[in-house]
Amino acid sequence: MTAVASSIPPTWYLLLASAVFCIGLFGVLTRRNVLYFLMSVELMMNAANINFVAFALYYGDLTGQVFALFVIALAAAEVAIGIGIILVLYRNFGTTDVTVPAEMRW
Amino acid sequence: MVNGLPGVTALLPALLLAATGLALLLVDTIRPDARSNTSMAIVGAVGSLAALAATVWLTATGVGSADAGAVYLFSDAVKVDTLGLFFTAIFASVTALVLVAGHDYFDDGVNPAAFYSLVTFAATGMALLAVANSLAVVFVALEMVSLPSYVLVAYLKQNRGSVEAGLKYFLVGALSSAIFLFGISLVYAATGSLILADIASASIEGLTGVLGVGIVMMIGGVAFKTASVPFHFWAPEAYEGAPAPVSAFLSSASKAAGFVVAFRVFTEAFPLEMAVSANVDWMLAFAILAAVTMTLGNFAAAVQEEVKRMLAYSSIGHAGYALIGVAALTVDGPANGTVMGAAMAHLLVYGFMNTGAFLFVAMAERWGVGRTFADYAGLWRRAPVASVAMAVFMFSLAGLPPFAGFFSKYFLFQAAIDNGFVWLAGLGAINSVVSLYYYSRVVKALFLDDPASPTALDAVDVRPTALYAAVVFAAVATVLLLPGFGPVIETAEAAASALF
Repeated sequence: MTAVASSIPPTWYLLLASAVFCIGLFGVLTRRNVLYFLMSVELMMNAANINFVAFALYYGDLTGQVFALFVIALAAAEVAIGIGIILVLYRNFGTTDVTVPAEMRW
Repeated sequence: MVNGLPGVTALLPALLLAATGLALLLVDTIRPDARSNTSMAIVGAVGSLAALAATVWLTATGVGSADAGAVYLFSDAVKVDTLGLFFTAIFASVTALVLVAGHDYFDDGVNPAAFYSLVTFAATGMALLAVANSLAVVFVALEMVSLPSYVLVAYLKQNRGSVEAGLKYFLVGALSSAIFLFGISLVYAATGSLILADIASASIEGLTGVLGVGIVMMIGGVAFKTASVPFHFWAPEAYEGAPAPVSAFLSSASKAAGFVVAFRVFTEAFPLEMAVSANVDWMLAFAILAAVTMTLGNFAAAVQEEVKRMLAYSSIGHAGYALIGVAALTVDGPANGTVMGAAMAHLLVYGFMNTGAFLFVAMAERWGVGRTFADYAGLWRRAPVASVAMAVFMFSLAGLPPFAGFFSKYFLFQAAIDNGFVWLAGLGAINSVVSLYYYSRVVKALFLDDPASPTALDAVDVRPTALYAAVVFAAVATVLLLPGFGPVIETAEAAASALF
């Protein structure tokens, strides 16, 4: 472990990751535009990545770092699917507001 | 490994499904402008049946059985055992049924190449999920299931209902997979490993709280995939808006994929003793979820007017029953393996009867007779075979004695009682009675009610042969599982007992 990283206790990484995760969750719950929703989910996934990378360093174990790379790829794939669905949403409903499509009752 | 074959042979089902998906893309590449509907359905059905045959062959030769020991591959990231093979058999069967049914459902629609390959790729992800032994593989496989599913739900891209369903499924799915991932990262932070067995044996120094939050967040991810409370909101929308074969696929195979995560990850990574001593009692959490899920699903299903939406809520109710398999566990409980095995057997039976029921709805959509109970009135006069098959599915789903659904439910509730969860079994029995009401409404409409008008049934003018074949096959399987239930429950209980 490098000198700088070891001087920061792991709790701080957990706090940072939780803060980023909560910002993302707040965005998911309050934003009505689907594009903002995608960005917020991206924040939540990257919060997990902070944990993976930080604790891979803390435990001296590469698993977490490698998995973070996997997660980045999967997040990109999810955004690609999401953009596709937003595109058909816009074509059918003429909006990117998630509250507008409500043809089926809950 | 048997017969001196290399260990990777144990992954044959997943490899066959992946190869099938690629072969389907190849068929589309060779003749991109032609609608090679039939050749695709044949390739897909042959591929998924080959995967099913490989699974049965591996199980029969004892690969991964308790005696022979599980097959570990890729530095322990993959573990092939009877549990994984059992679930792979469910996935491959449902995939074959859905692919065959898709042949007629999309007959005069768009080019269905994407449908076949996406279903097969999602099935590949499920087969991988069933043998995942590392949280990294679990998450990657889970996304491999989810991403094609989002597209499949929104497959009818000119149809506003389908697009809306796809959007809602995607929103809840993306959110819950982010929560699941954050849960994994917290478990990694507390234990320093992603391999299930290493998580169980890790010493947790003062990070129990982090581990507990991580476990709760992972329960959220499982609840989404299995369509359980509190992440069930997407299910009625997605199942109603999606093309009916996709609803069948999601509610049977995708739900079972969620359960394989619950069964394997929670018992292996967070053993019962550790969960109790560390005060993260996930069994209690699942017990509450099971109780709420089955009650909500069944009572909501009872007030629906549309058959497809009723089936969607009934599928939530059945998720509640299957959750008993992870809820009714206690430290050193005498029936831990039995109750989980019974839940697995229930998921297998459910795979056939629920897929069949949704495929009947697919046939009704193909005919265009309408969506409500009243629209189904008198259908047996025009479609007697399919109506009888639908009656079999309905009574089996309700758990009436002469059908396979009765046995799986009976074993499940009995095992829960043996493990001291009388209240959960009792609640399940009450819910089964409620479910009988709305399932028999369908049968009443089909056989007893008169059509609304003399011309109401004129829509039934086409004979979708492949859809008929899939529905009849599912009905035959539901009935044949009755005499064949012994070997099924024995395999399931042996597989589940190996986890404890």
